[in-house]
Amino acid sequence: MQNLNLLTPEIALCLLGLGLMLADLLLSVRRARLLYHLAWFSCLVALGLVLYAPSWAGAIPGGGALWVVDHMSQFFKAVVLICAILALMLSLPYKPLPDAQAGTFSALLLFSTAGMMFLVSATDLLLVFVALELISLSSFVLAGFERRNRKSNEGAIKYFLFGAFSSAIMVYGISLYYAAMGTTHLTAVGPASPALALAMLFILLGFGFKAAMAPMHFWVPDAYEGAPTPVTTFLSVAPKIATMGVLARVFMVLVPASGMQMTVLLALLAMLTMTVGNTIAIYQDNVKRMLAYSSVAQAGYILIGIVSGNALGLEGVLLYSAVYVAMNVGAFAVVQAVGEHEGSYGLKSFDGLSRRCLPVALVMAVFLLSLAGIPPLAGFIGKFYLFASAIDAGRAAGSGSLIFYALALVGVLNSVVSVFYYMKIVYHMFFLPPRQKEGGAPALAVGPYIYGCLAVTLAAVLFFGLWPESLIAHVKFSAQHLP
Amino acid sequence: MSLGHYLLLGAGLFVIGLFGALTRRNVIGILMSIELMFNAANINLAACNSYLHPAGVAGMTLAIFVITVAAAEVVVGLALVLAVYRNSATAYVEDFSLLKG
Repeated sequence: MQNLNLLTPEIALCLLGLGLMLADLLLSVRRARLLYHLAWFSCLVALGLVLYAPSWAGAIPGGGALWVVDHMSQFFKAVVLICAILALMLSLPYKPLPDAQAGTFSALLLFSTAGMMFLVSATDLLLVFVALELISLSSFVLAGFERRNRKSNEGAIKYFLFGAFSSAIMVYGISLYYAAMGTTHLTAVGPASPALALAMLFILLGFGFKAAMAPMHFWVPDAYEGAPTPVTTFLSVAPKIATMGVLARVFMVLVPASGMQMTVLLALLAMLTMTVGNTIAIYQDNVKRMLAYSSVAQAGYILIGIVSGNALGLEGVLLYSAVYVAMNVGAFAVVQAVGEHEGSYGLKSFDGLSRRCLPVALVMAVFLLSLAGIPPLAGFIGKFYLFASAIDAGRAAGSGSLIFYALALVGVLNSVVSVFYYMKIVYHMFFLPPRQKEGGAPALAVGPYIYGCLAVTLAAVLFFGLWPESLIAHVKFSAQHLP
Repeated sequence: MSLGHYLLLGAGLFVIGLFGALTRRNVIGILMSIELMFNAANINLAACNSYLHPAGVAGMTLAIFVITVAAAEVVVGLALVLAVYRNSATAYVEDFSLLKG
């Protein structure tokens, strides 16, 4: 069963990416920005193909048993493509990106997106490895795309070293898995032998790097701060969501973590991720770095759903992924607008933003409140689902329930801590006077693309916060029929 | 030569690579150590395929993929090293200290 037609969206995206690279050579530099429009249109085409497909019942395997196309993979593919579209929108007005390489930039972004689409469908370690590398290799270049900027170089090389290191460890884990199982296909395993446990640990490490889980998060702040802001936006949402998708598939469905006695380990990792992210974020005075640590913490929240391992947890992972994209892209769009205007991403650039541009300040406050999980907004619904799944799993677990209750408790406490640093940005925006320059404080100029991004993400955050039923119904539909 | 010898060689290479990647100060040195780790996995895959699971070719196939991807990884890595070297004339990791906090 090859079923290659199931890969139409990915193939289309890769071909269009190659086309963009060629078009880059033909187009004059003055018109190069046109390529960004072509790129987001390509993503839109792929999105259409993804949404057009899934009217079948159940899961369809392809390429032998290399990948599977089901409602969950289609959901994550759609979310990842939306991330790519929003990131390309943010790249359009971003000045430091060289015009001459617009085609290369957007092609790399498309290839990275295609890698994520492969990743969320993968059921075989071979495809998992190749997809992860496709994402990584494109993102390394994207992170260092401002070639003359030393910060961008440095962030990219740190990202690369950590990435190559963790993928080498992951490959070694895959070789151990193959030795123990005789196949690279991910299937439920019996009682875990030491070799298999080590293999799954190493493989988890490889995933953990991409999802920025705590002991593997050291690259995150540097790569995020150095990378061009649209790339930071993309890296902080899309690979994380895709990795969470594949983690959910691997550790909840294919090789259940509970069967491998890995639940406690995963729970501890989730707690560590949340706590490390939130604690270090408090001490940051660069907003890009602060949001980088915040995104580490957000990965920890999503991990709660995977640890719980029940249907509610899976729905929570999907729900929070979609919501997280909206609020994080929105926050980064504001950061990009302010940072480019001020020439610095320090907290001080946000001083008195409410007096310079009230709508943007208000919108930013909404995104930050949503990230912190304050009730009427979408972030709250997602967090509620995740914490509820942990409580649910605890109630079902009997004797081993303590770890689940502890997980929910740590999650709630971390949300409280996170309010502090999110509100620090709000404090700077609303309660501090703007920095005085000659001729009064200049108003913040925001271009149409950033306004468009903000409008879409704000609408999503408010709509899914106030009327979550539509999203919940969709998530419930996507979480069924797993292979 | 038994499977044990191959696995021992693989494990030895992996540990040497791990040690090198964690202690080397030059980016090129780290890259070379990471290559050792990739190749340790390749030895494991090929040996396990021919000794334990001779019926299929999954291990060998994966090893070929790993070799290909590792080559691509080195290309990207060296390009980044060149970009850094042009701007700051250094390839030592302790000099990469612009970003911190």
